[in-house]
Amino acid sequence: MTSLPQEETGPWRTLSRGAKAALLVLAVGITCRLLGAQFDWLVGWPDALTVPMTDWVGATVGWFLSVFKPLARAFSQLLSYPMEWVGAALRSAPWPLVVGAVTAIGWLIGGLRLAALGFFGLGFVVISGYWVEGMNTLALVTVSVPLAAFLGMAIGILAFEVPRLKGAVNGLLDVMQTVPAFAYLTPLIVLFGFGPVVGLIASAIYAAPPMARNVLLGLERVDEEIREAAVMSGGTRRQQLFLIEIPAASQQIMVGFNQCLMAALSMVIIAAVIGGFEDIGWEVLLTMRKAQFGPAFLAGSVIVVFAVVIDRMSAALAEQRVAQSKRVALAIFAVGAAVALWSVLANWNPSGVAMLDGLAQTVDTGVGTFTASNGATLDAVKNTSMFYGLLPLRIGLADAVLPFTWGFKWTAVHTMVFFAVAAVIGGGLALRGQVTAGVVVVIAALFLEIGVAQAPWPLVVIGAAALGWVASGWSLVRLVVVLLGLILLSGLWERALLSLYLSGASVAACAVVGGVLGFLSATSARVWAVVRPICDMLQTIPMFVFLIPVLMFFQIGEFSAFLAICMYAVVPMIRYTRQGLISTPEDMIEAATASGAGKWQTMFEVRAPYAAPTILLGLNQTILYAFAMLVIAALIGTTGLGQSIYLALGQADVGLGVTAGAAMAILALVADRLVQGFAEERRKALGL
Amino acid sequence: MKTLMKSGLSALALTAMASGAFAADLGATDEPIKLALNEWTGQHVTTRVAGEMLKAAGYEVEYVTAGMLNQFQAIADGDIHATLEIWSSNVSDQYAVLKDAGQLEELSDLGLNAREGIAYPAHVADLCPGLPAWEALQECAMNFATAETLPMGRLVDYPADWGTPGADRMAGLELPFKAIPAGSEGALIAELRASTEKKSPLLITFWQPHWAMSAYEVQFVDLPAGEDACFTDPAWGPNPNAINDCDFAASRIFKAGWPGLKDKWPAAHEILVNYTLAVEDQQPMMGAVDVSGEAVEDVVSAWMGANEDKWKSVVDAAIK
Repeated sequence: MTSLPQEETGPWRTLSRGAKAALLVLAVGITCRLLGAQFDWLVGWPDALTVPMTDWVGATVGWFLSVFKPLARAFSQLLSYPMEWVGAALRSAPWPLVVGAVTAIGWLIGGLRLAALGFFGLGFVVISGYWVEGMNTLALVTVSVPLAAFLGMAIGILAFEVPRLKGAVNGLLDVMQTVPAFAYLTPLIVLFGFGPVVGLIASAIYAAPPMARNVLLGLERVDEEIREAAVMSGGTRRQQLFLIEIPAASQQIMVGFNQCLMAALSMVIIAAVIGGFEDIGWEVLLTMRKAQFGPAFLAGSVIVVFAVVIDRMSAALAEQRVAQSKRVALAIFAVGAAVALWSVLANWNPSGVAMLDGLAQTVDTGVGTFTASNGATLDAVKNTSMFYGLLPLRIGLADAVLPFTWGFKWTAVHTMVFFAVAAVIGGGLALRGQVTAGVVVVIAALFLEIGVAQAPWPLVVIGAAALGWVASGWSLVRLVVVLLGLILLSGLWERALLSLYLSGASVAACAVVGGVLGFLSATSARVWAVVRPICDMLQTIPMFVFLIPVLMFFQIGEFSAFLAICMYAVVPMIRYTRQGLISTPEDMIEAATASGAGKWQTMFEVRAPYAAPTILLGLNQTILYAFAMLVIAALIGTTGLGQSIYLALGQADVGLGVTAGAAMAILALVADRLVQGFAEERRKALGL
Repeated sequence: MKTLMKSGLSALALTAMASGAFAADLGATDEPIKLALNEWTGQHVTTRVAGEMLKAAGYEVEYVTAGMLNQFQAIADGDIHATLEIWSSNVSDQYAVLKDAGQLEELSDLGLNAREGIAYPAHVADLCPGLPAWEALQECAMNFATAETLPMGRLVDYPADWGTPGADRMAGLELPFKAIPAGSEGALIAELRASTEKKSPLLITFWQPHWAMSAYEVQFVDLPAGEDACFTDPAWGPNPNAINDCDFAASRIFKAGWPGLKDKWPAAHEILVNYTLAVEDQQPMMGAVDVSGEAVEDVVSAWMGANEDKWKSVVDAAIK
């Protein structure tokens, strides 16, 4: 299936690797397109060749659960102690004491700026009326973030120290990040019992990978000179690692910690889906169920506030800073304690305060009014995007072009003309020497005419394998074919294609929008000042919150799901693009400036190439985030693998849930490996 | 003392009783009975009324938030002791599995009369004259069409994991509507809200009691009555070739508990089995919470005070 033609004729040998692969894919595509009508098995994978994989997985998981349940319950018991302690401490501490303490810590770390951030941030939580719920959430995060960070650090160091394991570790990280928690929620509850600990574990599983990846990247990029100096000064390997290399990589590690924190906070909602204690996520779920955007947004904002406060303070900790007066900190704390004493004596607690409810109501009404007055515009936006973008991509021009969408009916003549134009463009490119580009144009036209969700399976599998061959070689081809073959055998292929189409469209949009925003943020501090809090918010607020306005504006359907996925997945693209562009070593920039390069020339010829690996890591994260969001998007009513996961949840079908989750992870993994393969090639080409 | 006679206790036990009060019948009153609070207001009302009844009987009650789908494992493990409003229309299959394995006990019907159906917000009647008669939908299906469903009308159906009753109705009645699964209850409400705000057409699968019924003036389409024969005999109903050509079968709402409940808190078990709540009682309380914004606790305790005749007898029968 994957063997390439071995003809040794003249022109064939002169073709590049990419052109050969593209030609093969084109041949497969044309065959499928021409013969697909006669031979069904060329388009859809025959049912007879599927195996009852969901049953097998169900049985295996069932066996696993029965064996490991006692151990897991003990572990869960163990974790519940620190959580209860932290929770009890936070809940019973009078709120002014907590506000005072955080403000004082803010002062110690970053002076007036961070003190103000701590004070106003927690002040917001007090007046929102969600203090107790907020403290419960904080307790969850306080335990899960160190757990995730430790786990991530350990995995990252392991992968760095034992390069042999790097491939396997990367696979594990992808699985942790892409198999949605909803897919294994039922077995997780059976395993660890009911309650917040399950949410804690789910959030740690999800939050560890960004930490691990950044630790690895940071360690790999430590300067050779520093490394050599460490070796020369003697000391054991462990000393070199912990005293020299990790501190040298601290900037990248902090990026990882930041991402780890954000991911953990974004998963807080899972704890609420299970239930067991009243946290912010539970409030979000209640209001989400009533489609009240204002209150849901208010509750969600509490999580954002925590994220921003913790993030800014932890970031400042990593930087060099001037020592602040301890006396001021003590004074702030004393004021907090005094107010705390008063609040205890006066028996005043903030749970009844709901000063912002009016505002929340206004926001909610605003969304309603906006929908009412802009209904026609919103419908036009949605219909245009559907008719001319998403629909052709999903079911192909041949099916999407109809009298009531494009105004005419697509016929065989249109198909001929369409392919003729594609062939002319492709041929033109080929004649100018760009054979690969020319063939790719024709393949893209083929996909557009058939539609991603209806693409013949040989075309998808061989197409992905060919990309793998070009990007990396035969080992990647093997991986791609085996993994995609598993989806084919499981019988989930059609659903997988729907998911592929939706997340593919989102990733493409995110790459463009996120790349541009990241670039602007890197060039202008003012843009970053605006973009950064929005990124923080999008990444930490439970995404359920944004489903409401998206649904109000655009109703149930794929366009809403597309927007929801983009909102979440665009963030890493922005962050990593900016991080990559601004972290170019000073001496490289100085050298460029000295040789007379202007600002823009430096940007494109020095910064951009140096940033390429980081940007590609961002793209990788965007892909993984997009797949992770599929399951949330299913709450809007999409029909791919995400829906299967909810079906499985409703039917308590552990096998289906885990298999659908695994299929999702496989798609993400394949996409990720292909991107990484190209990234590696690029890195080598640039000599990095 | 009547209780003691009834249970026929020996003199030895009687001495024990003198110090421990009615321990044998009430069970472990020093340990809290944990009741599940799910994600919707009606269930909070149902649960808190039951909780107040248990408190009146002398129990300690703890309310535990729990996801509807995920609570059953917790009940089987004894982490939660009862859940009081399970809808047969969207109960997870895990419930049946655990019940059959004897890890869950079903505690009789709640007595809440639910109705499900194909529905629409009031303003839609103007967009499709002839409603609520279902035959009208045949003619004005195109008014409900959207980008995804053209050339058919669009019916917003339950989330896929609750089943596809709307799609089944459309197929049974041969109505030109494509059912789009909503994905979540929030999505259903958002659709209702957006449609009401924009005065746009909407056909939706919905149920009562639900606060949105009155908030968005939702009305049901009149379908042929959902008799048993409709779901088994194609010849029955307006379409001679299909089943499901009728309204929804009545859905059941019931209670379930931890199997150990009976032994640990016998009287509480009896109270929860005999506890019922009517739509006429639950709906105004839901309205007070969701529309007027009062706290559930206050609404429930006001109702308990004013309606002692509706619950006191159940408690008394169990403890006296």
